[in-house]
Amino acid sequence: MFLQLKNINFKYDGNHQYVLKDFHLQAAKGEIVSILGLSGSGKSTVIRLIAGLEVPAGGTIEINGRLVAGPDSFVPPEKRKVGMVFQDYALFPHLSVYENIAFGLSHLSKAELSARVNSLLELINMSEYGSRYPYQLSGGQQQRVAVARALAPKPDLLLMDEPFSNIDCELKQKMRGEIREILKSESATCLFVTHDKADLEDLSDRSITIEPN
Amino acid sequence: MTKLIRGFNETNIWNLLAFLIVAATVIPVANLALGVLPGENENWRHIREYLLKDYVVNTLILFGFSGLFASLIGVSLAYLVTVFDFPGRRFFQWALILPLSVPAYIAAYTYSGMLGYTGIITRALSGLFGRDISIDIMSVPGAIFIFTFFLFPYVYIISRAFLAKYTASLIESAIMLGKNYTQIFFQVILPVSRGVIASGSALILMEVANDYGVASYFGIDTFSIAIFKVWFGMGDVGAAAHLSLYALAFIVFIILAEKAIRGQKRFAIATTKVRLLTPHRLRGAKAAIAAGYSMLVWSLGFFIPFLQLVAWSALTYEEVLDQSFLQATVNTVFAAAFCASLIVCCAAIITNSARISRSRLVRTAGKLTAVGYSAPGAVIAIGVLILFIWLNAMTELFWSYSLITSIYMLLFAYLVRFMAVGCNSLENGFEKIGKTYFEASRTLGFGVTRTFFKVDFKMLLPSMIGAFSLIFVDMVKELPLTLILRPFNFNTLATKVYEYAHDERVHHSAPVALIIIAICSISVYSLSKLDKE
Amino acid sequence: MKKFWLLTLSLFLLSTVLLTGCGGGTPAPAATKPSVEAKEVNIYTSRHYPGIDDAIYKSFTDKTGIKVNVIKASGEELLQRIKTEGASSKADIYLTADAGNLYLAKQAGVLQPFTSPALTKNIPADFIDTDKMWVGLTMRARVLVYAKDRVKPDDLSTYEDLTQPKWKGKIVTRSSNNIYNQSMLAAFIAMNGETQAKEWAKGITANFARQPEGGDRDQAKAVAAGKADVAIMNSYYLGQMLSSKDPLEVKAAESLGVFFPNQNTTGTHVNIGGAGIVKSAKNVDNAVKLLEYLSDIEAQQKFAEASTEYPVNPAVEPSALLKKWGTFRKQNINLSKLGEHNRRAVQIFNEVGWK
Repeated sequence: MFLQLKNINFKYDGNHQYVLKDFHLQAAKGEIVSILGLSGSGKSTVIRLIAGLEVPAGGTIEINGRLVAGPDSFVPPEKRKVGMVFQDYALFPHLSVYENIAFGLSHLSKAELSARVNSLLELINMSEYGSRYPYQLSGGQQQRVAVARALAPKPDLLLMDEPFSNIDCELKQKMRGEIREILKSESATCLFVTHDKADLEDLSDRSITIEPN
Repeated sequence: MTKLIRGFNETNIWNLLAFLIVAATVIPVANLALGVLPGENENWRHIREYLLKDYVVNTLILFGFSGLFASLIGVSLAYLVTVFDFPGRRFFQWALILPLSVPAYIAAYTYSGMLGYTGIITRALSGLFGRDISIDIMSVPGAIFIFTFFLFPYVYIISRAFLAKYTASLIESAIMLGKNYTQIFFQVILPVSRGVIASGSALILMEVANDYGVASYFGIDTFSIAIFKVWFGMGDVGAAAHLSLYALAFIVFIILAEKAIRGQKRFAIATTKVRLLTPHRLRGAKAAIAAGYSMLVWSLGFFIPFLQLVAWSALTYEEVLDQSFLQATVNTVFAAAFCASLIVCCAAIITNSARISRSRLVRTAGKLTAVGYSAPGAVIAIGVLILFIWLNAMTELFWSYSLITSIYMLLFAYLVRFMAVGCNSLENGFEKIGKTYFEASRTLGFGVTRTFFKVDFKMLLPSMIGAFSLIFVDMVKELPLTLILRPFNFNTLATKVYEYAHDERVHHSAPVALIIIAICSISVYSLSKLDKE
Repeated sequence: MKKFWLLTLSLFLLSTVLLTGCGGGTPAPAATKPSVEAKEVNIYTSRHYPGIDDAIYKSFTDKTGIKVNVIKASGEELLQRIKTEGASSKADIYLTADAGNLYLAKQAGVLQPFTSPALTKNIPADFIDTDKMWVGLTMRARVLVYAKDRVKPDDLSTYEDLTQPKWKGKIVTRSSNNIYNQSMLAAFIAMNGETQAKEWAKGITANFARQPEGGDRDQAKAVAAGKADVAIMNSYYLGQMLSSKDPLEVKAAESLGVFFPNQNTTGTHVNIGGAGIVKSAKNVDNAVKLLEYLSDIEAQQKFAEASTEYPVNPAVEPSALLKKWGTFRKQNINLSKLGEHNRRAVQIFNEVGWK
C-alpha cells in the first residue's frame, strides 16, 4: 500500500478525550480518496497527522514504504514530500502568485524553476496571473493557486482540507473537474477531507467515513 | 516518550536558544528573590506589623484603578478613531500615542509643579475664583491620574490595530441587527477585544509595579518603594526578599489573569483579505463631543505638560544646555537602538519557539520574562551586578578587561528589563498571523528556520518594527538601571534629568526632558505610520 | 533580504563601537602594580549639583593632571553597588549628601581610614569620623521655615515646641522615607533618648497639616500657599527658590522666614555632605588629593556660593544669603550617631505613623 495508517491514537493537548482511537487507513498509488465525517469527528486531524503537523500518541504512519511516524521515529513535515492544500489556502500574502508556486522549488535551477511554475500556471489556466498577489484573486483562483503550489514540488501525496468550502456552487462543480484532471495528469495520490457528498461523487475514486469517537 | 527519542532536531535548537535567553533574563532576579532565604527577623516583624497592610492596599488600589481607567480610555479612544470620522480624527489617531513619550516621573514632577502653590494651574484657578483652590496631585489618586494618562497608549495602540483590521464585519452586522454605536461598544467591542486589552493592560500594570520615581516623589508606599527601603535603607536582604515574594505574587497574578482573559482558545484571523471599516461620519454635537474627548485626553496626557516644560525651558535652557548634552543624546539613542534591535531578535526567537513547540514548558517560558519587566529597577540592577561580578571573576583569569565597569553590564540589564515588552508585542504579532502559513511552508519542504526567515519574518516585520519602537521609547526613558549600572562618566538624557529633578530643580530639568520627549515622539510617530500600512 | 541583514549587522557593529567608545572612561585594567597609580580617581557620588561639581572636578584635573571619573546615583544605591562589588570595585571615593549613609558604609566595612595634614587643617574635628573613615565637606541645617504674615519669630523656639497643641494642623515636612528626616530623628534619639524621640515624632505627626508628600521645596510652597504655618526643611532648598528664574517662586520664597530652632537648648540639627575612601580603592593617593582639594578654600568657596550650603572649612565664609539668615548654634553631636540610630529612627517613624 502506498499510504498506510495503523492503530493511530491521537488527542489534542490539554484534552482528555481521544480524537482518534485505533484508527486505520490505506490508499493505493494514484488513488483519490475522500474522507467524510461530521465536523469534530477528526477528519482534519487525519490529514494533519499524515502531513506531520501533529504527532500521533500511538500507532504508525507509512508513506511510500517509508515509516514517517512511529514509536521512535518522526519525520518532520518538510521531509515527508507531502503537499497540502489548506482550507483557507494560506497563500503567502507577501508573495505573488508566481512566487507562491515557486516557493517549494528552491532546489531547482532558475530555468527549471520557471519552466515548472509556468507549466503549472498553464495547467490551472492562470498564465497571465503570475504577478498578481493573493488578495487580488477570487476564491476559485486562490484555490487553484493553492493546488498548484502544493503540487509544484511533485509530492508523493497530496492532502486537501475542505478545498471547496469557500467556493460557490457553480464554480465548485467546474473546479472539481479541473482538479481531478490536474491530479490525474500529475498522477498524484490524493486524500481530501469534505462534508459534501457531491465532492466524493465527482472527484474521488473511493471514500471513507470517520465515525465520531 | 517519542519526543525524547526524536533527538536533536531543528525545533530543539530553537527551544534551546529560547530557553537560554529566557534563563539569562530571569536568573538575575530569580537569583535574588529565591537565593536569599526570606528572613523572619525583627525587621520583617516590624514591616508586617506597621507597613505591610499599607503596601498591599496601596499597590492594589494603584493596580486596580490605573489598569481600569487606562483600559477604558485606551479602548474607547481606539473605538472612536477607527469607527467614526470627526474633526481632528487623523491627527488624534497618531497623536494619542504621544503620552508614551513622556516619562511618568517627568509627568509627576511637571504636574506637581503646575498644581503647586506657584504653579500655573493654581494661579489660574485662584485668579478665576478669587481664592486659592489647590488640587493635591501628590496622593494616591494623583498617582492613578499620572499612570492612567501616560500609560493608556499601551492599550490604545494595540486595540486600535485590532479594531481597524478585524472587526469591520462584526460592527456592520451589529448595526444591521439594530444596535446603536454605544451598545456595540459595550456588547461587541469590549468583549471581543478583551484579549488585546488584557495584553495592553498587563504592560501597564507591570510598569506600575516597577515604578519608583512617581511613588517615591508622591510619598506613596508601594512594594517597589518598600523593597528599596528595606534593602537599601535597612540593609536587610532577607526582609527585602520576603517582600519580593509578595511582589512576585502580584506579577504572577497579572500573568495568570492575562492568560485567563485571553482564554484558552488562541484566535487567529488568517484571512488573506483584511477589510477596512469605512468610518461613520459624526455631525454636530456628537462630532464636538468626540473631538472634545480626544482633545481632553491628549491635552492632559501630553500637550499641557509639554507646554509647561517648554515654558520652564525658556527660563533655564541657557544655564543647562552644553556640550555634554550632545554626548548624552548620542549615548541615549545608540544604546536604545542597539538594545531594542537585540531584544526584538531575542524576542522573535522566544516567541517563535513558543509557537512551534509542543512542550508546554517552552510555551510559557516567554511569560517568565515578565519578571524582569515588573521587578523594581534597583533589584534588577543588583541582580545583574552579582551576575557580572561572577562573570568578571571567571574572565579575569585570561582577559584583563573589566566587565563590571563596562557598558555591557548596563546593556545586558536593559535586555533583562525589556525582553517582556518584545515578547508581548511579537506574541500578538504571531497570533495575528496564525499558524497556517507556517504549516503551509513546512509541507512545501521548508524547515522551521527557513520558514521563519522566508515566511514568518516577512509577515512579522511590522510587529517587529512596532516592538522596536515601543522598546526604544522605554529605553530612552529608562532611569534606575542606568543610574546604578552605568560605567564611569556615562550619561544618558534620563540621568541628566534625574540630576536636576533629584535636587528639586524641576525647571532646570525641563530642557532635557523636552529632548527625551522629542526623541520618543519621533519613534512613536513612526509607530503610528506603521499601523496605517 | 541580504541587504537588510548587512545593514542590521553594520548598525550593530557601529553602535557597539560607539558605545564602548562612550564608556571610554573605563579605568585601566587591574594589572597595574599597586605602587604606580593611574593618573585618575574614580568617584561614586550622590551629589547632584550639575555644573558645580563637574566644574570643580575639572579645575582639579587642570591643576593636577588627575582625571576624575564619575558615576552618580542615590547614596543608598551606590553603597549597595560598592558592597556588592566587594574587592573588585573600581570606586575610590564614596561621596554622599548625608552622614547616615557614610556611617552605613563604614559599618559595612567598605571604607578605609585616611588622613593628611591638609585635611586636618581644612576640616574641623567635628566633621571628621572618629575612626577617620570619612570627612565632611559641606553642611546644611534643618531649620524651621515659617510664613512671615502668620507667624512671628517669637512664637518659635524649639523642634520640641512644635509638638504643642497650638500647632495642630500647622506643620508640614516630607516623608520619613527621606534620609534627612531619618537623620534628624536619629540625632534626637542620640541626645534625648528613644522615649523622648518617639514622643516628639508622635507629637509632630499629630500636628501635620497634611500627610507628608513631595520634596523640601514642596513643603516651603505649602507654607507659602497657606496650607501650613511652619515647615521643617533644609535651608538649602529655600536658598534655591530665592535664586529661581521663576518670579512666582521667588515671591513665594520671599514671603517665608528662616528660624534656627533650639538655639538656647540643644542647637539646630545639621547634616553633612561628605566622603570616604573605599577599602578596595586602587588610587588612594589621588583620592586623598581630591578630598584635600575639595576641602580647600577654592573649592569650598565654590560650594558655598553655588549651592547655598555651608562650607566646613572655617576659612571660608558662607554665601551672602546664608549670612543674611544669620549665624546659629548647631547640635553638639558626633555625626556618626546619625547613622548609628538610623534604623531605630526608621522604625519609630513607622510606629507613630509618620508616612
